[in-house]
Amino acid sequence: MIANPYTQADWNAVIPLFIVGGAALIVLLADLVSPKYANRYVSMAIGILGLIGGGVYAGTTYGVSHNAFGGGFILGGFAVVLQEVIVISAIFSIALFGAIGRGDRIAGSVALMLWSTAGAMLMAGAANLMTIFLGLELLSLGLYCLCGLADRPTSRESALKYLILSSTASGFLLFGMALLFGATGSVTLAALTTPAVAVNPLYWLGGGLFLVGLAFKLSLVPFHVWSPDVYEGAPLPVTAFMSVVTKAGTLAVFARFAYAAIPAHASNALLIPFFIIAGISMIAGNLGMLAQTDMKRLLAYSGIAQIGYIVASLAGGTDQGVRYAIYYLVAYMFMNLGAFAIVALLSTDKEEGSSIASFHGLAQRRPVLAAVMTFFLLALAGFPPTAGFLGKILILSTNVSAGFPWLAALLIAGTAISLYAYFKVIRLMYDRHAKPQALPSVQAPLAYVSMAVCVILVVVMTFYPYTPSNVLPLVK
Amino acid sequence: MTPYAPVAIFVAVAFAAALGFSLLPGVLAQRKPNPEKEQAYECGVEPTSSVAGRFPVKFYLIAMLFVVLDVEAASFYPWAVEMHALRVFGLIEMAVFVVVLAIGYAYVWKRKGFEWR
Repeated sequence: MIANPYTQADWNAVIPLFIVGGAALIVLLADLVSPKYANRYVSMAIGILGLIGGGVYAGTTYGVSHNAFGGGFILGGFAVVLQEVIVISAIFSIALFGAIGRGDRIAGSVALMLWSTAGAMLMAGAANLMTIFLGLELLSLGLYCLCGLADRPTSRESALKYLILSSTASGFLLFGMALLFGATGSVTLAALTTPAVAVNPLYWLGGGLFLVGLAFKLSLVPFHVWSPDVYEGAPLPVTAFMSVVTKAGTLAVFARFAYAAIPAHASNALLIPFFIIAGISMIAGNLGMLAQTDMKRLLAYSGIAQIGYIVASLAGGTDQGVRYAIYYLVAYMFMNLGAFAIVALLSTDKEEGSSIASFHGLAQRRPVLAAVMTFFLLALAGFPPTAGFLGKILILSTNVSAGFPWLAALLIAGTAISLYAYFKVIRLMYDRHAKPQALPSVQAPLAYVSMAVCVILVVVMTFYPYTPSNVLPLVK
Repeated sequence: MTPYAPVAIFVAVAFAAALGFSLLPGVLAQRKPNPEKEQAYECGVEPTSSVAGRFPVKFYLIAMLFVVLDVEAASFYPWAVEMHALRVFGLIEMAVFVVVLAIGYAYVWKRKGFEWR
């Protein structure tokens, strides 16, 4: 007789995941019965409703603090905020399917995206090595298929590249986890803080491999080479999804590991290399943007630099640091998804409007879109009055006060480089001598909505810079 | 590291045995080849064509669906062994698992995944 070791509260903690995962099943069933002309919108509607349901339920547990499944999944302010970020960016990404992709593939795509979202939501609360890996694989397996769902050779290249490189990174992560388990004899992150483990070489090797795996998933330099290629080939909604959700999920794992799973005296030695590569990412990501001719590649490099800023915010392990990281992550989500919504509005049935050439002279054809795109690019570069500006100021302040002034210096240098890259696109959009191009047929009212919402929120966030206060401690 | 010593001895013996069995016949055995002995198979059927032939890609889908079914069947065994201990909890877990799988198969069936095209 095995007694059921889990209580009702444990199951309540993962209900948002069940709602999102269950919605994916309903999407598949509804696709079988809905008429052909409507199935795209039926799938999107059920997907978005499921995500809203999951997000709202997760929101009601904001004040709850619970150690579910024997420490495998920790419900608390941090997990809930990260889950909301993941759910909201999944909603914005699914909205882009209104314009893009073959109709008969939408149901499968939406379902896979929902399962990936559930995986990322699991990562947001995961607090032992097993749930971390489970969440990561659930997130990645869906994405491998999603990357290959566009009818062009680059899409297949993208899927294959992501499958091979991401599995390699998972291997690193798993091997690191095995060694961490070998060093401590426990899979929970809380047990990794025992000071005695720091003398064990297995611990250092395991921790290093674990962080390499995370750096790959976050696409930090020098583990970033996959991301521009994968982003370029994948269908646009999938690229938008990957650019925020994978990073948010992995960031949650990294924050939990960095804040709560390292013995105090080992923390600097293990983490400083990670912050150094975050600093290099700020420079290299922004330099990489200069040479790009495709908007998705440009945003991929921009994302490499932005995730460098966010990781840098966690340096020093302060309470402020994690709150500002969340603030910048939310700002990045709206700026980035807004830019992707505009790319979606420039897309046609045949072609995604992601080449920089389709932005040439945009101000003459679509003055509003050009203006809004300018707004998002300036926000990504960090101009006031946008959340990108305030977020950078907050990260600078936390870096300096936590004793990492060199990270602040790298952030400033990276931002200076990025200005040039963003202004190159802006200059092209306002080129008066551009050859006239045919207007793409617009069939994406939802992309207009998400664009407008993103603009409003990026501005509002600047004037009401709310950061969640009950995020720490990350492991109990 | 003493608890691992038996493991190390076991691995060493296994390697030595495997190496010995594969190298010793070459040294000790007498060689009297004849055409019958040189054939690829001493028993069974003569190969009729090259093994590196090409398979129609439609086998791929069948193989994938079979693997899913196979893994599903494999995960029933542990449940069957512990069924009385897990009681209602195990039953519900298994029911959820089968329903999720059934929805997947219903989708594949309706989208003509089982048809030989």
